Amino acid sequence: MGIHKKNVVQIIIYALLVAGLVIVILPMIYMVSTSLKPNGALYEYPPRFFPDLKEITAENYLYILKQKKFLVNFANSIFVSGVTVALSAIVSSSLAFVIARFRFFGRRLLFGFIILTMIIPGTTMIVPQYELAVKIHAINSIFGLIPFYVAWVIPYSTFMIKGFVENIPRELDEATYMDGGDVWTVYKNVMIPLAKPGIASVSIFNFLTAWEEFPWANTVINDDVKRTLPIAISGFFGQHQFTQWGYVFALSVLSLIPIMVVFISCQRFFVKGLTAGSVKG
Amino acid sequence: MKYDRKSKLQIALLLLPGLLIFGIFTVYPIVRLFWMSFYKWDFGSFLEQDFIGLENYKTVLQDDNFHIAFSNTILYTLITVPAQMLIGLAVAMLINSVNHVKIGFRVAYYLPVVTSWVIASLVFKYVFNTEGLLNYFLVNVLHVTSQNIRWLDYRWGGMTVAMLLGIWKGIGWNMVVFLAALQTVPVELYESASLDGAGGLQKFVHITLPGIRSTILFALVMLTIGGFNVYTSTKLITGGKPGHDTEVVLTWMYYKAFSNGKFGYSAALSFIIAFVLAILAVVQFRLMQTKDEG
Repeated sequence: MGIHKKNVVQIIIYALLVAGLVIVILPMIYMVSTSLKPNGALYEYPPRFFPDLKEITAENYLYILKQKKFLVNFANSIFVSGVTVALSAIVSSSLAFVIARFRFFGRRLLFGFIILTMIIPGTTMIVPQYELAVKIHAINSIFGLIPFYVAWVIPYSTFMIKGFVENIPRELDEATYMDGGDVWTVYKNVMIPLAKPGIASVSIFNFLTAWEEFPWANTVINDDVKRTLPIAISGFFGQHQFTQWGYVFALSVLSLIPIMVVFISCQRFFVKGLTAGSVKG
Repeated sequence: MKYDRKSKLQIALLLLPGLLIFGIFTVYPIVRLFWMSFYKWDFGSFLEQDFIGLENYKTVLQDDNFHIAFSNTILYTLITVPAQMLIGLAVAMLINSVNHVKIGFRVAYYLPVVTSWVIASLVFKYVFNTEGLLNYFLVNVLHVTSQNIRWLDYRWGGMTVAMLLGIWKGIGWNMVVFLAALQTVPVELYESASLDGAGGLQKFVHITLPGIRSTILFALVMLTIGGFNVYTSTKLITGGKPGHDTEVVLTWMYYKAFSNGKFGYSAALSFIIAFVLAILAVVQFRLMQTKDEG
């Protein structure tokens, strides 16, 4: 009897989870289904959730893929996100290593200040950053995006990686010093290999951040061919009186593919990175 | 511990790149922002500015549009933060109590979080369009209203769409964070409570909630900051329209800076936001600590 009741409860829980999931996933399915409808059908009334089977078309995707500028936008996004991830990993891991392992004047103050800046919304700094970008000729340049993104993700990355470094036994450092190693060898041979999971999880977040960043890129980039994907997607608005939703969602789906691949293949690291800061408390 | 010269040099070299980038692109702008907030600083006048003391702060605080943007932001935060946390926690508890496909559910519920704000905003704009799918469903399928609701054409409609998007996009993050926290609550506590005849609700109130308190605080602080960070969704869904009725603090700050050229005003506004967030963070920590003692 007890076992039977348990099964019923389990079935109800699964049903609830699946029902919730349908609601959560619905907008995304609608996006995909709209991207597969012929562009002319998007303003028809009544709107339908799914296109008829024989209606399904790849014309929106073909239109996007044929335009060279969208391929350039794609490449821009890959480049900016990739370089941001690499630079942030190097810079934040060395900051985290030094702050976690060495005592120097102002260490606690420095770390406290780095953490404090996480409170300030990034967008509030857009005015002085814009002025700075004008001064250093970083306006309308994809290289100009990168240092701002790196600076943006340093606090969170340093905070997370520091947590991982503190879990590496100090005896490993001592052993390396005994063998005649210096600070640099400890960083390279002890810290980097052992903090890898932490660096990996932080890097996934940094990739996401750079990949989807909108306000800053939208402010400093003007040229079609210098845009990153979020700006290209939002660029469909305002150009024409009416929005070609088929194109919007085809480009959206294409730009989500790399994110989904990264997320699903790395989801173990992802969870680790999310929860390391929250559970310890 | 004393370090020799070589170690000191290597430590300094490891610190340098990070400090340089952080210093130039984050610390300098913050200082500059603070400076700007005391000057009459209009777009295009990078050279001549007048020191006007707290005038910008006064202008912001007396501005009706700022009041609207600020109350929209507060409303957004007050509604989306608890909603995300409650739903996220509920989903986490459900996932925690099933035996199979836990990871599958976790991944699937997290998908909206990794969907970019730009894309999610456009999907919501499309669904909530006056001639869109949702209205069709409400009018022609459910018959709850006889006319299409013009969601995006008035203040509360636009805010509702933005808030629904915020909740939809935030559930996954809360679910993952709470799911991890639930693993840290010792199973023995539940077992001994069951032996004592405690019901599900009692276990939740007396074991689960205290056990995940530090995570609740963490989520509360992070999500409050997130609530004040709303920008892309309002910008793309309503653009602050009609008038400036659906503006939030950041879109209003951006509008004043880049459409009106009032850099000084925007700088003062930014500092007011940062100040409010700092106070909220302190208050939230205090509240949770007093509960701890009580």
